[in-house]
Amino acid sequence: MSFYKEFTKGLWNELPPFRLLLGLCPVLAITKTAQNGLGMGLAVLFVLVLSNMIVSMVRGIIPKKVRIACFIIIAATLVVAVELLMQAYAYPLYQQLGIFVPLIVVNCIILGRAEAFAAKNPVNLAIADGLGMGLGFTLSLTFLGSVREILGAGSIFGVKLFGESFEPFTMMVEAPGAFICLGVILAFMNHLTKMQNRKRGLSSDKAGNGCTVCGGCTACERGKASA
Amino acid sequence: MSNLDKKLLFSMSVAPFWHCGRTIRGNSIHTSIALIAVLAMAVWHWGISVLGVVGLSALFSMLTEEFWNKIMGRHSTLNDGTAFVSGILLACLLPANAPFWLVILGAFCAITFGKMAFGGYGANPVSTVCVGWAMIFISFPIYMDPNAMLLQTDFIDPLVRLKYFGPDFMVNSISFTDLLLGRQIGGLGTVQNLGIILGGIYLIAKGVIRMEIVVFFVIGVLLLGGILNICNPELYVNPFYHLLTGSTLFCAFFLATENASAPDRAIGMRLYGLAGGMLVVLIRTYGIYTDGAPFAIMLINLLSPYFAMIQPKPFGVKQ
Repeated sequence: MSFYKEFTKGLWNELPPFRLLLGLCPVLAITKTAQNGLGMGLAVLFVLVLSNMIVSMVRGIIPKKVRIACFIIIAATLVVAVELLMQAYAYPLYQQLGIFVPLIVVNCIILGRAEAFAAKNPVNLAIADGLGMGLGFTLSLTFLGSVREILGAGSIFGVKLFGESFEPFTMMVEAPGAFICLGVILAFMNHLTKMQNRKRGLSSDKAGNGCTVCGGCTACERGKASA
Repeated sequence: MSNLDKKLLFSMSVAPFWHCGRTIRGNSIHTSIALIAVLAMAVWHWGISVLGVVGLSALFSMLTEEFWNKIMGRHSTLNDGTAFVSGILLACLLPANAPFWLVILGAFCAITFGKMAFGGYGANPVSTVCVGWAMIFISFPIYMDPNAMLLQTDFIDPLVRLKYFGPDFMVNSISFTDLLLGRQIGGLGTVQNLGIILGGIYLIAKGVIRMEIVVFFVIGVLLLGGILNICNPELYVNPFYHLLTGSTLFCAFFLATENASAPDRAIGMRLYGLAGGMLVVLIRTYGIYTDGAPFAIMLINLLSPYFAMIQPKPFGVKQ
């Protein structure tokens, strides 16, 4: 039950790029095509699951003071493995993703999950969390990549969707298109949450389960209480 | 808030009670009147079909605004006329024979991402028209290039000649009268310089736009263009050509002066105009675009909060 709960939270309630707004750098930069998004997502999924597992296994051994450095070393080791694997078996994808594969080391999601979850929980839950978060990240990236590719190039996974007369909306595969797409998706998700809250009879002003995730409110209230 | 609303039986507005009578709707009407001369010259040069482009753009701007107001559950703001004016201004930047889907997409992008995404009129940090123009200009460079679209014409595009053949060739192939009368290739409304000047003077006389921005925009173009021209006349053209080609004057009169995105104090307005004029010359001389005036407007719009910070010191206040 708990395993299932930790697994599913990453798929919607704490969807990394669209709910937690973590790991936005690759989200914005490499989702020019659905294929790039999927490849990047799978690389992050691999690193995330294994780093969560290893961090959880060694959580009793690592001294508190040097934990961040240890997390980064674990992540870096795994990223090098991914990089070599990609060079061996998916070289075109590796060339497309470029610098963003090594940058997975400092991806907020990897470090965030290691610090916030894996370092405090047993191995099986850490793996569930990594799988859920990684899958959520992969699906989000593929979705954003598909939207941008359909609008900006008229194709999906490289397959042409429209006839010859279609004029692609090129801006969508440029940098501003990424920001606009992300903004529209975030607005849509907030709107959806509000609608759900209204249906449940809750106050529609709060962003619902966004609050439990963000933690900003509790920090603010703690600040208020101490002041 | 909801409790407050129930308790209040009638609301009193605070002083001052005197109203000068000027409204946003009135400003929109005056701007539309000022654009009549521009559109008349466009019809004279490009035929009656330009009214189709203008009408389509205005219609879809209004429809888009109404659509988003409905979605967000707000009152309709069509009555203030700003969407109508934005549509006409956007159409003025397009080539005379722009395809219908380009016009519709441009109007939709302008109102959605340039205006309604920020919360409607007055909340947009960057000129609505320029946002829509930039989105379709970057996406469809061929369809937005008047020189490539208007092939069956005797007119020439002075900016293309200036960019690729040098100032001498451009100066010899077109006269100031032609430039002033709009006998050149460019956006359908942006090159009708005589109409723009007449409309602009009307707007200044009616107090809709502030003279400082326009005058200092022109000074900015002449200043930087003049300095470059004096340094090397063979490489850099007489700045008056910068003024009368492309969309420089149109941007100075109609786009730079947009209420929501321009500073509101004299010093700020002067610096804002000056920066805009200089940026136009810089983009044209060193940039990759032949006409960079709307990009210059977007840049100075983003700077305008900083220009607005320059305020006079209140009398008698100790620092």
